[in-house]
Amino acid sequence: MKKEILRMERVTYMEQGNTKLRNFNMAIYEGEVMGLVPMNNLGLDAFLQLLQKNLPLYYGYIYYRGHMVNCWGKPNQEWNRISIIQSESILADDMTVADNIFVLRPGFKKWLIQRKILDRQLAPFLEEIGVDISAEAYVSELTHFEKVVVELLKAVVAGHCLIVLYDISTFVSDRERIWLYQMVQYYASKGISFLYITAHYEETKQLCGRTAMFTNGRIVKYLYPQNATSDERYLCRRGGFEKKLREKIEQHAKEDKKGTVFEMELLYTPKIQGLSFTVASGECLILQDLDNRIFEELLEALSGEGKPESGKMRVDGKETRFRYDRRVAIIQEFPAKRMLFPYMSYLDNLCFNLDHRLPGVWRSRRMRESIYREFGGIEEPGLYQKGVNKLTQRQKYDLVYGRILLQNPKVVFCMQPFHGAEMPLRIHICELLEMLLDKGIAVVILAVSLADSLALADRLIKIKDGTNYVECSREEFEGLPDNVPWKSF
Amino acid sequence: MGKWKEKQKYLSYRITLLVRASLFFQALLLLVGCVLIFTVGMSVWLLAAGALYMAVQDFIFYKWVMEPYHRMEQRIRLLAESYTDAILSREWEVLPSPSTGLICEKIMLLMNPSDSLKMSKRQAQYLALQNQINPHFLYNTLESIRSEALIAQLDTVADMTETLARFFRYTISKVENFVSVEEELENCLMYFSIQQYRFGSRLSLEIECDPEEKEKIYGCRLPKLTLQPILENSIVHGTECKIGTGHLVIRLERTKEQLLICISDDGIGMDEAALERLNERLEKSTLTSGQQEEDGHGGIALANVNNRIHMLFGEAYGMQIYSMLGKGTDVEIKLPIFTSDRELENREAMR
Repeated sequence: MKKEILRMERVTYMEQGNTKLRNFNMAIYEGEVMGLVPMNNLGLDAFLQLLQKNLPLYYGYIYYRGHMVNCWGKPNQEWNRISIIQSESILADDMTVADNIFVLRPGFKKWLIQRKILDRQLAPFLEEIGVDISAEAYVSELTHFEKVVVELLKAVVAGHCLIVLYDISTFVSDRERIWLYQMVQYYASKGISFLYITAHYEETKQLCGRTAMFTNGRIVKYLYPQNATSDERYLCRRGGFEKKLREKIEQHAKEDKKGTVFEMELLYTPKIQGLSFTVASGECLILQDLDNRIFEELLEALSGEGKPESGKMRVDGKETRFRYDRRVAIIQEFPAKRMLFPYMSYLDNLCFNLDHRLPGVWRSRRMRESIYREFGGIEEPGLYQKGVNKLTQRQKYDLVYGRILLQNPKVVFCMQPFHGAEMPLRIHICELLEMLLDKGIAVVILAVSLADSLALADRLIKIKDGTNYVECSREEFEGLPDNVPWKSF
Repeated sequence: MGKWKEKQKYLSYRITLLVRASLFFQALLLLVGCVLIFTVGMSVWLLAAGALYMAVQDFIFYKWVMEPYHRMEQRIRLLAESYTDAILSREWEVLPSPSTGLICEKIMLLMNPSDSLKMSKRQAQYLALQNQINPHFLYNTLESIRSEALIAQLDTVADMTETLARFFRYTISKVENFVSVEEELENCLMYFSIQQYRFGSRLSLEIECDPEEKEKIYGCRLPKLTLQPILENSIVHGTECKIGTGHLVIRLERTKEQLLICISDDGIGMDEAALERLNERLEKSTLTSGQQEEDGHGGIALANVNNRIHMLFGEAYGMQIYSMLGKGTDVEIKLPIFTSDRELENREAMR
């Protein structure tokens, strides 16, 4: 007999008059690892909020561990003992692992903290999942993966029956992900339930018993692993885009790459140990860090914020110093949040990196407006006068990539370009990257997992222990594991 | 101006307007008080006491009038959206006036599921009388056809006729309202074998059930003809239009309180808009069922089964549909667990 852990029954939830979830039904059972693939993010945040907090429902009932915890008309605003593990860690950076797990826990009532006892208490938990993390280590010193493990342990120790893993693959490397899956399966066998949220069915297929396809605040279908053809058909939903992309790729493959525009030779920093790569004009290269630790230092070296120990960088065949150079552009992770200036207009944001090409751009408004008129792709009239805060997510991405296009660099480094984006936006990002490639700009995607990135890639370099590990061309992608999305491209 | 006229039709709007005006007046008084303190040296304590009085009065008004009013408003809106459970599950906390209370009582009486059930029963009996057929005549005729087929050595026709007769016996002659899961599944298999004469190897059916739980699940009771209409729907609307083979699965599971049955097909499925429309129809109350049938958008069998479940067990149980275009459709049915009809009667009495 199945034991129900969470049941959401006919839940309709509204925020400021907008319906976020409409007649939402879902049940998760004890020891189940359930997948959830959002085809768009509409209602997803509301769903996650409702899991953790009993907010006022327009209609419906929520049961957790057999008790009704939320009911329409009778909100109690209390928190449920459900953990959500995502890229933004909930751990206190300046406290130790043991403190985070035991001390920052509801119900911890001791006045004096005895570290040795906490360490002793933590040891068996670490032992059973085979992880070697010091109980005394500060959270700020941990890697992303270690933070995830600590959060997982924190949830287990706190007695949470349901743990949500949200978009884990975007910040945990493939190797670590497999390790995490083993931990999840171990805890699932002990009766803890998991909800694994990711944009790719290929991932949930590996781990989950069933996968819910989520769109517009509703679950439209459950996919079961025994349904062997499910994934193929799911991919068919993206059929139109796939066809277009395949044509582009074929055309792209036929085009001769014009020669190397950027070269990195034996780069050494504390975490990078002799990284070398080249990229040609109009080529898309993926750098996949299997340990997820070098990208921060690589971007610091490229932007001139940090000085590498040694190494050479060549742009257009000429050696250049490690400093801010307009020929090398960087698109950061979450660019819509991190790369736009919210108090500047659309037009000012668009022209931000243009002064090296048009020195008088900031003196002449007319010049900026003519740039806006020439810059195709933006159709909404009056958009350029809008503040960035009023733009949609898609428009923000258009703006960031448009700015890079106007900057006209030789190479663009994109840090996890698809992280946190819903599926339609991911497809749009692919189109934007394609636009850069069409202009002959080399694109280097810095990725932890290969999800989505592979669709456009010409080459893949895997990095392990801070140095080149494996390199494969598009023809060799067939050798990649089956769970990699877009592999067949 | 037209909008204002439209709005002022509602007493709630007039009251809200008055409350807002009163709040504004209070704020103005406070402001005047502040000015008087600085100009003519009015006592600060007097102003503080006045402000405190206003705050307490507003708080009581909010808690005693506004909050219950909003809850009442939400319930009425839910009723308008056909959530009958919203009306029937709880007593009215507040009502605008005694006469509205009488109207609400009347509505609750009309919407009582047991009354609806009785009404539906009467309607069904009337329809049965109107379309009266002699089932024995039908069975005897089918038996004759079977005999003729056996004589003519047409074994397939004979088997087909026998299955059809058994199917009709279950559907027409079995008078109980509730049957065991096992009986219902047998009827589904009979229906499926009839369909297989038509589709051959193009169609397959699988019943998935945990072997350890099988006995308990098969012993559970459920309303007669709950599964067969859905299976029929899956074949007719799901797999029939599909090119290639169709696979149907009936998945049975149970929790402590619920029996979960999922009928899945790998047919053509439906798009998001159609799915939403269908689920919305299922979510609507039993009261609107007649209206739904008149709409003529299909899915009547599903709506009927769902309405019967709602009427018998309440809105906590029922049906939910999941589907994606080209990926097939799942119909998930949630029922309470009971193994004898007496248990159900006790449950009814408890409600």
